[in-house]
Amino acid sequence: MNKELEHSFVELLEKHQNIIHKVCRLYTNNYDAHNDLFQEITIQLWRAYPKFRGDSKFSTWMYRVGLNTAITLYRKSKRSIITQDFDGVEFRMKAEDYDNTEEEQLKTLYKAVHELNDIEKALIFLYLEDKDYREISETMGISEVNARVKMNRIKTKLKTILNP
Amino acid sequence: MDELELLKKDWRKQNTTYKQLSAKEIYPILQKKSSSIVKTLFYISVGELVFWILINSIPYFSSDSYRERLNAVYSNEYVFAGLTFISYGVILLFIYLLFKSHKAISATDNAKKLMESILKTRRVIKYYVIYNLVMVSISMLVGTYFAIVNDPKLTDSISHFNNKQVFMAYAIIIGVTAFLILIIWLFYKLLYGLLLKRLNRNYQELKKLEF
Repeated sequence: MNKELEHSFVELLEKHQNIIHKVCRLYTNNYDAHNDLFQEITIQLWRAYPKFRGDSKFSTWMYRVGLNTAITLYRKSKRSIITQDFDGVEFRMKAEDYDNTEEEQLKTLYKAVHELNDIEKALIFLYLEDKDYREISETMGISEVNARVKMNRIKTKLKTILNP
Repeated sequence: MDELELLKKDWRKQNTTYKQLSAKEIYPILQKKSSSIVKTLFYISVGELVFWILINSIPYFSSDSYRERLNAVYSNEYVFAGLTFISYGVILLFIYLLFKSHKAISATDNAKKLMESILKTRRVIKYYVIYNLVMVSISMLVGTYFAIVNDPKLTDSISHFNNKQVFMAYAIIIGVTAFLILIIWLFYKLLYGLLLKRLNRNYQELKKLEF
């Protein structure tokens, strides 16, 4: 791989790295596992980069490779088994930005999202990233109708967890 | 749904909370080795090929008596050449299929297609293992039969066996072969089961959405 290619890749990755962080945030439960998955996604992106043609946006391409790595390719390291109290609070904005009820609701919501299975997490992630159903269906390899149906089920599931 | 909107609003704010890696910190990551299941699967498939080639060749090249026995069994030169040709042909075919299926695995495919490509590679390895297990069983059974027929000492001992003893001898040979194959098969089931457990679960989940 030539230096120029490496340079352009690193530049793009540096700019869009939050996408990877957010995938890691969703699929791991501690700092070490987050770093492990971040590394694996970066390696997978770098390997696939020579074939990246630029006909899709780099960020769109990153969503696909990032989720594929998290759902399918990543072999969980021993470190990811160690569980810590990780309900997302440390990643969120300061508590004073919200009133107490909102804070509590968010805490429960993040906890509920973490309880979803891998596929449901991927769908909710794309939803939170404002992707439309066409893009969700293309990323996951399912039809738009099924993506919509599944998304509604996940919403209901989350609602049930929040308001038992 | 209000709650999800709240989550979305909060999610957007997360961009400012992650520790940002500099280009200097990203470069070393590119040199690191991947630990993906595809890589593990690749090593396993290469291991399978080497293992079964060695299992099939070592006894022939390392033991003179085995070679002589085998040559006696396959006294017809054409039969032996034909069998060798077929067995190497099958190995080459599997190498080609494995190479092709590994090449088809791409992290840039959609999630479902990527899972299918990996499962396809796993199937190729499975067929290769089944092929070898079948060949091992056939060779063990045929080999034992010819050994009995061609070895005067063995033929002599067996001629003293009554029907029940002959039946018992065959039952033991078949039983031992079946047991060995079962053990190897269970080992593979466990190996791939552990490696692809999560993938299988997620693939089933995606497939469920189609109904």
